[in-house]
Amino acid sequence: MKPLERIGVFVCHCGLNIAGTVDVKKVVAEISRYPGVVFATDYLYMCSDPGQELMRKAIREHHLTGVINANCSPSLHERTFRRAAAAEGLNPYREEVANIREQCSWPHAHDKEAATHKAIAIIKATIERLRLNLQLTPLVIPMTKRALVIGGGIAGLQAALDVAGAGYPVTVIEKDNRLGGHVNELSTTFPQLASPGERLSQLIDTVNNNPLVTVYLNSEVTEVNGYVGNFDVKINRDITERVGAIIAATGYELLPHFKTPQFPDDKDIIDGLEFEAMLQKRQIRRPSDGITPRDVVFVQCAGSRDPEHGMPYCSRICCMYTAKQVQQYRQAIPDGQAYVCYMDIRSDAKGFEEFVQQVMRTEGVLYIRGNVSRVFRDGDKIKVWTVDTLTNQSLEIAADLVVLAMAMQPREGIRDLARKLNISLDEFGFLTEAHLKLRPVESLTAGIYLAGTAQWPRDIPDTLASAGAAASKVISLFSRQELTHEPVVTQVDEEVCSGCGVCVNVCAYKAITLDEKRKVAIVNEALCEGCGACAATCPSKAMQHKNWTHRQIMTMIDVAAAGRGK
Amino acid sequence: MEKSAFTQKALVIGGGIAGIQAALDIADTGYRVLLVERTPSIGGHMLQYAEVFPTLDCPQCIMTPKMVEVSQHPNITLLTYAEVKSIHGSTGHFRVEILQKSRKVDHTKCTGCGACWQKCPGRTASEYNAGVTERTAIYIPFPQAVPAKPVIDLQHCRYIHYREFIESKQDGKKPPECRICERVCPVGAIDWDQTDTIITEEVAAIVVATGFDLMEIGNITEYAIDPDVVNGIQFERLLSPGGPTAGVVKRPSDGKIPQEVVFISCCGSRDPEHGVPYCSRVCCMYLAKQAVLYKHAVPDGQVYIFYIDIRSTGKGYEQFIQRGIGEGTIYLRGKVSRVYREGEKIKVVGADTLSGQRVEIAADMVVLAMAVLPAQGNGTLFSRLGIATDTHGFVQGNHHKFAPLETSVPGIFVAGMAQGPKDIPDAVAQGSAAAGKVLALMARNEPSLQPSVGILS
Repeated sequence: MKPLERIGVFVCHCGLNIAGTVDVKKVVAEISRYPGVVFATDYLYMCSDPGQELMRKAIREHHLTGVINANCSPSLHERTFRRAAAAEGLNPYREEVANIREQCSWPHAHDKEAATHKAIAIIKATIERLRLNLQLTPLVIPMTKRALVIGGGIAGLQAALDVAGAGYPVTVIEKDNRLGGHVNELSTTFPQLASPGERLSQLIDTVNNNPLVTVYLNSEVTEVNGYVGNFDVKINRDITERVGAIIAATGYELLPHFKTPQFPDDKDIIDGLEFEAMLQKRQIRRPSDGITPRDVVFVQCAGSRDPEHGMPYCSRICCMYTAKQVQQYRQAIPDGQAYVCYMDIRSDAKGFEEFVQQVMRTEGVLYIRGNVSRVFRDGDKIKVWTVDTLTNQSLEIAADLVVLAMAMQPREGIRDLARKLNISLDEFGFLTEAHLKLRPVESLTAGIYLAGTAQWPRDIPDTLASAGAAASKVISLFSRQELTHEPVVTQVDEEVCSGCGVCVNVCAYKAITLDEKRKVAIVNEALCEGCGACAATCPSKAMQHKNWTHRQIMTMIDVAAAGRGK
Repeated sequence: MEKSAFTQKALVIGGGIAGIQAALDIADTGYRVLLVERTPSIGGHMLQYAEVFPTLDCPQCIMTPKMVEVSQHPNITLLTYAEVKSIHGSTGHFRVEILQKSRKVDHTKCTGCGACWQKCPGRTASEYNAGVTERTAIYIPFPQAVPAKPVIDLQHCRYIHYREFIESKQDGKKPPECRICERVCPVGAIDWDQTDTIITEEVAAIVVATGFDLMEIGNITEYAIDPDVVNGIQFERLLSPGGPTAGVVKRPSDGKIPQEVVFISCCGSRDPEHGVPYCSRVCCMYLAKQAVLYKHAVPDGQVYIFYIDIRSTGKGYEQFIQRGIGEGTIYLRGKVSRVYREGEKIKVVGADTLSGQRVEIAADMVVLAMAVLPAQGNGTLFSRLGIATDTHGFVQGNHHKFAPLETSVPGIFVAGMAQGPKDIPDAVAQGSAAAGKVLALMARNEPSLQPSVGILS
């Protein structure tokens, strides 16, 4: 032990999140007596302004050489406290978080005494780790100030224009042979009933005429290497682009209706986009025989909100486009009868509620609240069996045409793309954001951002907002002179490394290569995310994670285990 | 026209989550930002919530770091307790006049030690606790306030009342002179002579992120005004570990733990007769969340939610509703016709349209999901800025579908609830997106005129 270590410990109440379970006063009293600790205290919210000031003041007045913040997970506030410590001249890696919330007070809410013991053990172990911490400085990485947008729908186009608007070059790659995505297929937008065509062609023209934007049609990403600031992206036409940031805006498709057992494969049972095509051509005809459909049943939540047969989630836009399609159908066929089978009507944005109410009032449409149980052909009609849960009656409707508002799902190929980009997906294949509330357009991989319906079903304004937000993150990234990277990475003890290559295979970030000549592993520090997989796997302990060395971890275990059985 | 380089500075009006996000995104890019907040602290409504749906994160934990970041950011000038008074000029060169309200406290001397607000005898309803408790006349709105230094609320300060009495040379009983804060302040920071000041600044672009208020309960005449009939934000405070009851749900009238709670959706929303025709978008989810949190606090309690349609359209939202139902929330599809007190209980009379039956519940507490309205005073601000609004007073985007964040005045953008009801992820995304528009405008460094301007011949 270094005799001159002067450690300060700050125990956070987190309101009642910690203090409701852990006896923080007892923790402070116990930790105050621990070797090397010269100052310990508790506070209601350490992350707040006065909380941080309390810590900074203690660093100044007690000449602290190290700080322990016992509070929530380091993923939340490690940065906050390290920055505050750095402002007082302390090396930020001389601050460590002891997680006594997620790893202590929350799971042990039923046993206050044990939770208090455990909190003390966690803090002591963290103090032992801190003693062995190196003073690190962030790595500096150069950056290519060009962005890549994957997907040429409105999300991708808007993001590209916004990034180019700030003066940075952008490459857009689109799988299809035209830009614009699904918006090309829409007859009108809700609730204003304007044709999107003109705005879309304006958007496409602006993109095509912008000298900073390069568009590749019929293109796909085949390989991605590198890291934030320096991605090398191969496109399926022997082009490799180096870009600093990537926006994934690959959009959605509808769940094929024959994949859901209640809807048979029949020409006169179509999905919402197929009906849009009819509206766009102004030819509403029954596909099977070309007659004008007099009775049309619109089925909402077809495959949505249906964990048994489809997706458990809500597809968000169907209630509105169905109401719009009813209105458009009646415009074209004024004596036609429309039926809408629904569970809840979800018209929750500007002007939406008013629009649905108006359609209900003026279009003679029957909204029937209930789940459709069967749809089947009966002669030249399609029979729809449903229930009206408001009158508790079973209904049978003989329809000429059935329009299914099928669930939205991510584009085919999203899994493959996500693997290449090394970003995560949720169970349905939608791209996952870094934080649902506060980092909604960032992926967990630095330099890769999300926009539009590849992330979740949403309508045009929300898609454009997310695209604008993703672009703003890219602009912000590019505005920096250079990039810095966490120095908490793995280093190789070349004397010990046997060059077996096990670490190369476990590295999820492609950060390790093998020097075949010298038979040692080489770590690209810019790519290393400090996950520790290599250090855990290395049979000879040659991979040592900075500030998480084997010695540190073993010492922590010793201290934590010593507290057991009290 | 002579072109002149844009002022490399933006103005963000409103220090809630949307405004904070916009300010940070602009400032991180190297441009200067002036963030103007009307109340004494940034943070907005989000900090009043107990936990946020569907992840049940504590907003204190995820919001306070952003607030601290704002206060420490080298590119952000924070003006709290301040309002935009006037605006002249156009894109690239807006000249704004900002009224810095007098705090009667010299913040250069104040250390935020709290001696003053611990001793102050003045009392009024706490805005932060949505009127569930009182605060003092010299106050910080909540412990994590940024800045964590107080202001004196002139309307409730005893010394100010005393001075007014003396100056008016009235007869009658003199009120007490008080000045306790001045006596207890260890650094002499109380400054009775401090006056309102006008700050003039030039900015290139403006983001309007002024947020929302809830409709008053009194607007729904069928529902009683009663201490145990609260709005959604008041119930958040009663659920919050940092709230007035330290997270123990107690009903306001007698402090008893309520065993039966009724939640009513669409109070004033989707109701053109009594309120507003639109849907307030966030209520279905926050009621489902409050029901879950209440059940966590009172496991043997019973919750009912009256609804018209359940609207759970965001990521993980539908699954959250199902979770609530699994944990015992009873949903009743129908409107509530009357809410009134009967002895110890609050009677709720409504319909269950699925069984076709009349429902009567004797509840201990009733929570009303009141309609979301533009924040009070927004109308005046929007007309000062000259930006168009819809019939309900929310800022109107230039194009509903394709330009939702551009207002009718080039160079002025909107984000968050000021544009219409929305949840936190959507408000954060709009804050970032509005920042992106500002960044592009700064980079372009010249006004872009729409080709649709008129030409005089």
